[in-house]
Amino acid sequence: MRQQGDFLQVLREQGYPIDSLPQPANGHGLSSHAELTTGTTVFAMKYADGVLVAGDRRATAGNVVMYDRTDKVLEIDRFSVLAIAGVPATAFEMARILEHSFKYYRRSQLQDLSFEGKLRALSTLLKNNAPAALAGTGTVVPVFAGYDPLEGCGKIFFYDILGAEFEAVEYAVSGSGSPTIRGILFYMNRWGTGPVAGLNEEDALIFVLRLMTSAAEFDSATGGVDAQAQLYPIVKRISAEGVRTIPADRLKTLFSEKVLS
Amino acid sequence: MFEEPYRWIEAVANRRTYLDDQFTQGNPLIGVSFTQGILLLTFNRGTDKIYEVYDRIALGGMGHPADLEKLRYTLLDMAHVEGFQRSPSDVTASRLMKNGLAPVIKQAFEEIFKAPYITKFLLAEVGPTQDRDHLFSINYDGMFEEQREFGVLSASSSIRETLAQVWKAQGRPSSLQEALEVSLRLWGISSLLQTDTPSSDEEEKEADSSPTTSGSIIPEDEAIASRIRETLSKETLECVLLDRENGKMETYRTLSQAELQPLLPQYFEPAT
Repeated sequence: MRQQGDFLQVLREQGYPIDSLPQPANGHGLSSHAELTTGTTVFAMKYADGVLVAGDRRATAGNVVMYDRTDKVLEIDRFSVLAIAGVPATAFEMARILEHSFKYYRRSQLQDLSFEGKLRALSTLLKNNAPAALAGTGTVVPVFAGYDPLEGCGKIFFYDILGAEFEAVEYAVSGSGSPTIRGILFYMNRWGTGPVAGLNEEDALIFVLRLMTSAAEFDSATGGVDAQAQLYPIVKRISAEGVRTIPADRLKTLFSEKVLS
Repeated sequence: MFEEPYRWIEAVANRRTYLDDQFTQGNPLIGVSFTQGILLLTFNRGTDKIYEVYDRIALGGMGHPADLEKLRYTLLDMAHVEGFQRSPSDVTASRLMKNGLAPVIKQAFEEIFKAPYITKFLLAEVGPTQDRDHLFSINYDGMFEEQREFGVLSASSSIRETLAQVWKAQGRPSSLQEALEVSLRLWGISSLLQTDTPSSDEEEKEADSSPTTSGSIIPEDEAIASRIRETLSKETLECVLLDRENGKMETYRTLSQAELQPLLPQYFEPAT
């Protein structure tokens, strides 16, 4: 029987190849380079008012910089954000499917999909994508963050390429630049002046810009901040009021006043 | 029994009588385009009759709830598949109406061995500017028409013509409050006319033959106000705004009772 409000099912009925996203005929030679296709830095961290999600803007293919204005922090609906690391074609497709799935559910069932339900939807997409992920041609390792209205708090989840879902207590990172950030976050929480989750918005934003700059220092696939070209990371904040993008002007001011000097 | 053409025509005519009768108890539904967007208004006795279809499109229904649900799903599937495979800006009310609703409703109406859909729909699409607003209304037989300024679902087409005259006689609303007042008035007129004239479309045919009578007589203001007061105290006012000034892609917003209360004109308020 058809599950009520399931957009994937609607697509299947229309003949859209939803269960066989990019299937490589021969993945040899690519699998060992899987890390190249996840060249990026995205992360989400809790702070005093909710969750901040940030992503650099560089897209690479091997050692070539393809594009420096990519948006990897995608607003899926009013209360959730998907930060993507991995093969852009598959990742953007997943984001579009999720966006339409949530909209379709809300409009057809006349109620919002629960936060748990949204997490399951992403897991399912990753699981269906496993063959392509293992072959290295469709690897996606996302971070999902959102506001759970039932529990009244922001939440962060991260995934492996097969679709296993883990809840992050304080932060989650993904992409080739993430080990640097993970190290700093661990250090700050353990021996810093206080837990990162207690920072106010301004301090948290400064911290985000510093983290991104550190990641870019050690990872060639991470764009970091390019003040000369007016390129700042995409930063979104999630709270009870929903998702809001932090304007580039604000990041610019904070960067020149608190990061450079 | 229906192999003769005459019998078939007779059967379809019987359907009209049957369906017209079904709608006399229905709640009229009004859609009005104004500066801020499109306001859809009706009253309900528990079940909502206005739905979100897509980013800029809303649906209002009159008729049997089971039929409304079925056709609503047809539209939702069509809109979301289109929006996903092409782009959200390719989903238009015009195509949903012409390719989605109209053929399905017409076919069901003319297949005289099966039950027809007991539904009338209003499909509203808010544009980036007021001149790009579209309102489509479709009758139970699959006939639809497109309007730019206002749309209405009512028990009969003669009531609809009367409302069109009322609409023409007044200026276009320029605020949410004005839109609400106008819509309530149109709703009140429609509601009064449908209870006053029992079997409407037969009457209309006679009216068509004599060009002097055009539509029905517009009720007095006091009668309209008293009908609205009476309904406000018994039923729930349901209002949806397709807000073109929302800034985001999604425009659909249900107006809460708390939001509506201060906007209601004084003389419509139920006597306490």
